[in-house]
Amino acid sequence: MTGVPRSGLVRWGSLGAAVLVLVVFLVAQRQSVDVSYGRSPTSSDPVKEGSAGELADVTVPSVEEMTAMVRADAVVRLPGSVARWDEAAVREVIGDARILVAPPGLDEAERKRVRDVEAAEIRVIGTDVTGGGLQATSTGLADWRIRFAQGDVTSLLVTLAAKLNDKPAAEDVDRFRWREPTAAELDPVVADLRAAGVHTGAGATLARVPKSAEAAFPDGALYVALPRQPFGEPVPQYGPALTALFPDRPVVVMYGDWIEYHGPRAEEFADVVGTSFYAQAADRIATYAYPQANVLHAYLNRVTDVRYAGLFDRPLPYLPLDPLRVALPALPWLFAACAVVFLVLSANSVRRGGTARAGTPARLAGLTALAIEVSALSSDPSLVRGMSKLRAAGDALAEDLPDAHVRTLLDDAAAELDTTAKALGRQDYRSDVYLRGRVA
Amino acid sequence: MTWLIWLVAAAVLLAAGFGVAFLPWWRAHDLRKRTTWSRARAAVDSASVSRDACRGAVPEAERLFARAESIAGERGGVKAAGMVADLAERADRLWREARR
Repeated sequence: MTGVPRSGLVRWGSLGAAVLVLVVFLVAQRQSVDVSYGRSPTSSDPVKEGSAGELADVTVPSVEEMTAMVRADAVVRLPGSVARWDEAAVREVIGDARILVAPPGLDEAERKRVRDVEAAEIRVIGTDVTGGGLQATSTGLADWRIRFAQGDVTSLLVTLAAKLNDKPAAEDVDRFRWREPTAAELDPVVADLRAAGVHTGAGATLARVPKSAEAAFPDGALYVALPRQPFGEPVPQYGPALTALFPDRPVVVMYGDWIEYHGPRAEEFADVVGTSFYAQAADRIATYAYPQANVLHAYLNRVTDVRYAGLFDRPLPYLPLDPLRVALPALPWLFAACAVVFLVLSANSVRRGGTARAGTPARLAGLTALAIEVSALSSDPSLVRGMSKLRAAGDALAEDLPDAHVRTLLDDAAAELDTTAKALGRQDYRSDVYLRGRVA
Repeated sequence: MTWLIWLVAAAVLLAAGFGVAFLPWWRAHDLRKRTTWSRARAAVDSASVSRDACRGAVPEAERLFARAESIAGERGGVKAAGMVADLAERADRLWREARR
């Protein structure tokens, strides 16, 4: 066979393939597909307390004064407080526990004063209900609606009281009631919407539509801001009435801090936006007295985020099939296979081969015979040296040492035996003559 | 899992490469060592025969032979074996010349 033997070709080929696979794998690590659903243009800078107008112009008395008030009355309602509840339902669960109700929009020091009134088992700041180290939390859109639209914290109080008294929580009933708006209520709203697209009811704090509205509803929307609704009464439901009058226009209705969306795709994303917005912001909205414009601004930012998340009206970007991505999982196995092939073939090539012997054992045997024959006639030291060399050559053969070495030893032995023959004066005991004669 | 395969395969490759490079070298080294020791043993045997055959004392040869035997007693690598062989051969030559 000429050229590189086939197993060698396979062996080095597999090594090359392994290196290639490794390089492909490493290069592929750098590739990444940049998928973006667009960058939502909202910003989330940290804000200082009070910088968003969430602090109200109210304050609370000193701790001692509040303690005295709580001792005197089971329920103390500080000026400006907004939380209301069903007295009968709460009293039934709560027993004679003391409740201190503070207005929303207190600053950090004032809230600390309220929390320091230890005589009150339950404290309500804004619509944030705490007591005994626990905080009552709304868990759904219906909870948030009655809490922020009407300031109704009945279910929060009942839940917290049940927890504090180690009683099972009462069945939660939605006490919120809608009613149709009357024509007298609806007409000024419709007139304002037709004129400016915004209606701010008496007592509402929405001065103008926030800037985030442009990104949230690029085609424009109608905004209705109403104050917090009276406790315990059905609330006029403007949404359906307005969508009937303004089909295909988004309608945003605010009742106090509660925001409703009606209009196109309402069933698809109103709940998503509302839930994610109030889940994140409910605590702050409850504790502080944000102007409606700020709450609406944050809500509209969330609408923008959800729109840009591409969940609703944007198709997924096209991703072309990448053969590398398909092949990538197989690469380590390919690499391993190449490594194993290389290992096996290498082991084959390294396996020990026998040393080629050409006539050396025969020459050793012949010289040994000569030495034995001569030993009967002579005791010259050269003969003894020759025999020791022969023994060394025999050992070297047994040890599988290189042929050249064995031959050198045999040459030395032959020279010694020649010396002996010369000393004896016998030409026929010269090694070359003797060996030739023996072979013949 | 796949990282493990990469690691194991790379280790296999390294082992194979190391084996391919190291095994033949080590084998050749070992063979050279044994060959040189074989030559050294033969030379020492030969020298000791010459010493026994020599009637007079040759101090230089005795010294060389003693050194060869002391080195051989401690074993060693190719270099030591080569030294033993050279010393023994020189001692051998001296004794042979002394006998003549």
